Amino acid sequence: MKKSLPLLFLLVLLTGMLFGLNTSVHVSNYKTIDKPVEVSNETTFHQLMDVLTHPRCMNCHPTDNLPKQGMERQPHHFDMARGADDHGFEATQCHTCHQKENNPYSGVPGAPHWGLAPASMGWQGLTRIEIAERLLNTETNGGKNHEALVEHLTKDALVLWAWNPGVDANGVEREKPPLSKEEYIAVVEKWFADGAVIPTK
Amino acid sequence: MKIQLIVNGTPQLVQIEDEMTPLLWVIRDVLDQKGTKFGCGKAACGACTLLVDDQAVRSCSYPIKFAEGKTITTIEGLGTKENPHPVQQAWIEEVVPQCGYCQPGFMMATAALLKKVPKPTDEDIDNNIINVCRCGTYYRMRKAIHRAAALNSELPITEQEKE
Amino acid sequence: MAKVSRRKFLVRGALGTAGIVAVGTYLFRNPIRRQVLAYANSADSPYLGSGMEPVLWFELTEENRIRLYSPKVEMGQGTFTGMAQLAADELELPLSSIEVVHAPSITGNMDSFATGGSTSIASLWQPLRELAATMREMIKTAAAELWEVAVADVVMEETKVSAGKKELTFAALAKQVNQWPEVDTPELKKLSDYKLIGKPLPRVDLEDKVFGVPIFGMDASMPDMVYGTVVRPEYIGATFISADVSQAASMPGVLKIIQEDDFVGVVANSYLEAENAKQAIKVTWDAPTQLQLKDIEAKMKVGNGNPTLIQKKGDALEEVAVEAEFTTPIAAHAQIEPNGVVAHVTDDGATLFLSTQVVAITQKEVAKRLDLDTDKVNIIPTFLGGGFGRRLHTPHAVQAAVMSKLVGKPVKYFFSRKEEFQHDMFRPPTHHQLKAKLTANGKIESIQHDFSSGDVAIDSALLPGFLNKMLGADVGAIRGGFCQYFAIPNIRTTSWHVELPFATSWWRSLGLLANTFAWESFMDILAEKAGKNPVDFRLEHIKDDDAGARLRKVIETAAEKAGYTDKVIDGKAMGFAASTDAGTPCAQVVALSIEKQQIKIHKVTCVLDPGFAVNPDQVKAQCEGAIIMGISASLFEEMTVVDGQLQPTIYGPYQMALMKHAPKEINVTLLQGREVPGPVGEPPLGPIGAAIANAVYRLTGKRLNHMPLQKTLNKM
Repeated sequence: MKKSLPLLFLLVLLTGMLFGLNTSVHVSNYKTIDKPVEVSNETTFHQLMDVLTHPRCMNCHPTDNLPKQGMERQPHHFDMARGADDHGFEATQCHTCHQKENNPYSGVPGAPHWGLAPASMGWQGLTRIEIAERLLNTETNGGKNHEALVEHLTKDALVLWAWNPGVDANGVEREKPPLSKEEYIAVVEKWFADGAVIPTK
Repeated sequence: MKIQLIVNGTPQLVQIEDEMTPLLWVIRDVLDQKGTKFGCGKAACGACTLLVDDQAVRSCSYPIKFAEGKTITTIEGLGTKENPHPVQQAWIEEVVPQCGYCQPGFMMATAALLKKVPKPTDEDIDNNIINVCRCGTYYRMRKAIHRAAALNSELPITEQEKE
Repeated sequence: MAKVSRRKFLVRGALGTAGIVAVGTYLFRNPIRRQVLAYANSADSPYLGSGMEPVLWFELTEENRIRLYSPKVEMGQGTFTGMAQLAADELELPLSSIEVVHAPSITGNMDSFATGGSTSIASLWQPLRELAATMREMIKTAAAELWEVAVADVVMEETKVSAGKKELTFAALAKQVNQWPEVDTPELKKLSDYKLIGKPLPRVDLEDKVFGVPIFGMDASMPDMVYGTVVRPEYIGATFISADVSQAASMPGVLKIIQEDDFVGVVANSYLEAENAKQAIKVTWDAPTQLQLKDIEAKMKVGNGNPTLIQKKGDALEEVAVEAEFTTPIAAHAQIEPNGVVAHVTDDGATLFLSTQVVAITQKEVAKRLDLDTDKVNIIPTFLGGGFGRRLHTPHAVQAAVMSKLVGKPVKYFFSRKEEFQHDMFRPPTHHQLKAKLTANGKIESIQHDFSSGDVAIDSALLPGFLNKMLGADVGAIRGGFCQYFAIPNIRTTSWHVELPFATSWWRSLGLLANTFAWESFMDILAEKAGKNPVDFRLEHIKDDDAGARLRKVIETAAEKAGYTDKVIDGKAMGFAASTDAGTPCAQVVALSIEKQQIKIHKVTCVLDPGFAVNPDQVKAQCEGAIIMGISASLFEEMTVVDGQLQPTIYGPYQMALMKHAPKEINVTLLQGREVPGPVGEPPLGPIGAAIANAVYRLTGKRLNHMPLQKTLNKM
């Protein structure tokens, strides 16, 4: 159905309370990088955190075992929760509804191994510095060294789903993180290449 | 595209143009098995719940392309009037359904639960059975789920293994 | 003891090869006002008949069963089971001999009104037993004439009639009889002689519903069927201006784009192809409103709209000592089966499989649109995947019929869930003001209830808008609005009718849920002011008459069964409430606690006096279901209006009770204070909301005056 821009905006506002939704951000809105710019390690850190703290990422890194949904970070409807293995309850699991791909008809998002990050990687409510500390701590990150972390952050299909988040129940595209996927990958690589330094206050 | 799958024990070969077509519509409109219900099409109500390789799946949100080679069980394949599944037997004993529309989804979700948790507690039921029933049959359903668990454990060992 | 009517049941022979018909004549030709008021306020629901005579009730089948054509639809309320019991007992047959089916409209056996208002069994109690008794005598007499034996010697058995060594199956008998005898309606059996009526038998549709038999409207299909869909606006009050269908027309599977004056639709080979094409139709709507919920709330206030004094006793309240206000939100039916239909229109007429509560009305709507004689439109009702009042308005059948006519094939059409939520006929929001003055010894001297509501029974397809003028108050909105404590000397109740910009209508129990929430919360407030136990306080104000005696008994029994106390014990508190709806009193006691700010209902004790219970187990099932639906509505449910749209559009955001919210204990006791059945399906929805609010107050000291209660508690 064709809508004028104000109407589309309206629709977006309205449906904010539904599964996932939000204002659409178009690729054209992203800044393009013509030439490498010298940026400080702190800038890189914050670019990375701009992504990691976006609802597309944060919603599945809860600290209360409850997945969140939408830009409002609404606790998952029907009280779905982490369960014993981060993939829901015994019989009603994440995979009962979430498959390996987004579903264009139902608006249910999907990606391989859809589920919550381990409880030790809960980020919700943490500061950026605390998130980074958890990310780098092999006791909380599942024993990953820097190389494994870069691999995970730049190649894992569920992580990268954030840049292919699909449409919501009303067929409206979900908002993507504030950097493009390429920019994000470059930021991850640079931050780790620079020693993964967490800025001090 | 052509998809091969087994539905209630019968191999089926279906020809589908749109590979994202929800399994629900293939079951209902192509294979003409209407026991699996359409309620919301958004994986929210659970009326379309069936089993894919023994796991509970909401078929309105499951693309047919993922069903290749899979074994599907719907309410029609759960049991028969002559030989009901323990869940169906329990549903009859407790006279659960009112309008009945959501019941196949609940029974399939319960069958999946009992495979994973043969003796579910009330908390297990609360966590796993999150379909929506508008008639408000939850009270009898809970009794029926416990009853089905009891019936299951009464089955001879060989029957239990077949389950 | 039921009295025998003078009705004469005419009999017509041979329908097809094996069928016979029993034909009933009904003469209910009351003025419409009387019908409507009787419908709204009386326990003695008249069966309104179809206005078409003769009508088909029974048929002997090839399988040697007796098929009962039901003029009422089965939507979960158990009517088919009750009807089978009524018929079987008078036919002197086991339940298994009776097969209840929905009467296609071609049989003429339609209720001209609807299936709704909790009247099905109550209204059919007398006529159906008389019909069945007549059918029995007719079969016996026919066999007796054939064999030249006395009628008294003929015995009906499960599949046959016999006399001594002579026997014929029902089908064989039907084939041998050319001229069916006319018999007088015999005297009905005594209640105590019934073997099935009054017994808690399993539902007759139980197995079909447990084994996934395709019985619902959504399951209907016809050979060569295609799929239609209609574009519906997302905005309240939006009107169609134009549509660009160029892209949709060339999409895969599309057979035809339908452009009528009042709708645009698509017909395609499959459901998804039709839906995909619909998304590609670019419709321009005139969407005049940018309404918000606050606009609706501002409208829905006592003092706005048209007032009608509906209850007046003694003097008006002059000095207000205690007052309180209550509100309830817009609510959706949210039945799980979407509205759907399969329509096939040919040169000979129209056939429609339809989930509907209004067979006769929809038949007329389709006939009018297609310019057909009404009897050329055959509506075949299906089982309903929930009714709750939503299917008292099923004009989508008309659109499907138009689409079928234009493509020359059967067309299946059903709503998306978003359309279900946005194009529901909602339960209207309400606002209530209660005021009272107590005497020095803590009794109510004067009480006044003013409430506002949108349309419930007015302007629905059932009752045209002019009835509003004729009747004054909306007969649906006033359900439960009256004061049931008639010992209070001075009572005023006023209904304010407010026009809303979107359609509202019948939602199970109509005004009862909202009105009782207000009344019975206020009774607890007054009891506290009076320093009395809430149960004793209610009993003090009950009038000493028949209705009062039944109300008193349900209240006393509920308090006793629940062990009602106004003390908080182990973090649990009890809440009490009672209502009288259409002559059926009900009292409920809720026991709840609050865990992590969530209201957790542990047990509900319910005492209902519906009169005689034809199937006590199904009456209990209706109570359990009403309690859980009432918990859902009271705690969670609300629709809102955002920028001109009704929202939300899906379960989840439209929060409803799940398994975990249902009490693990529901204790239902039935009192049978009358010898005839009364309304069952809706009355137990009355007390639950107030009982919850009263318990929460007891536990926390917080008075929840606004539904949904959980949200109100969260904000306090």
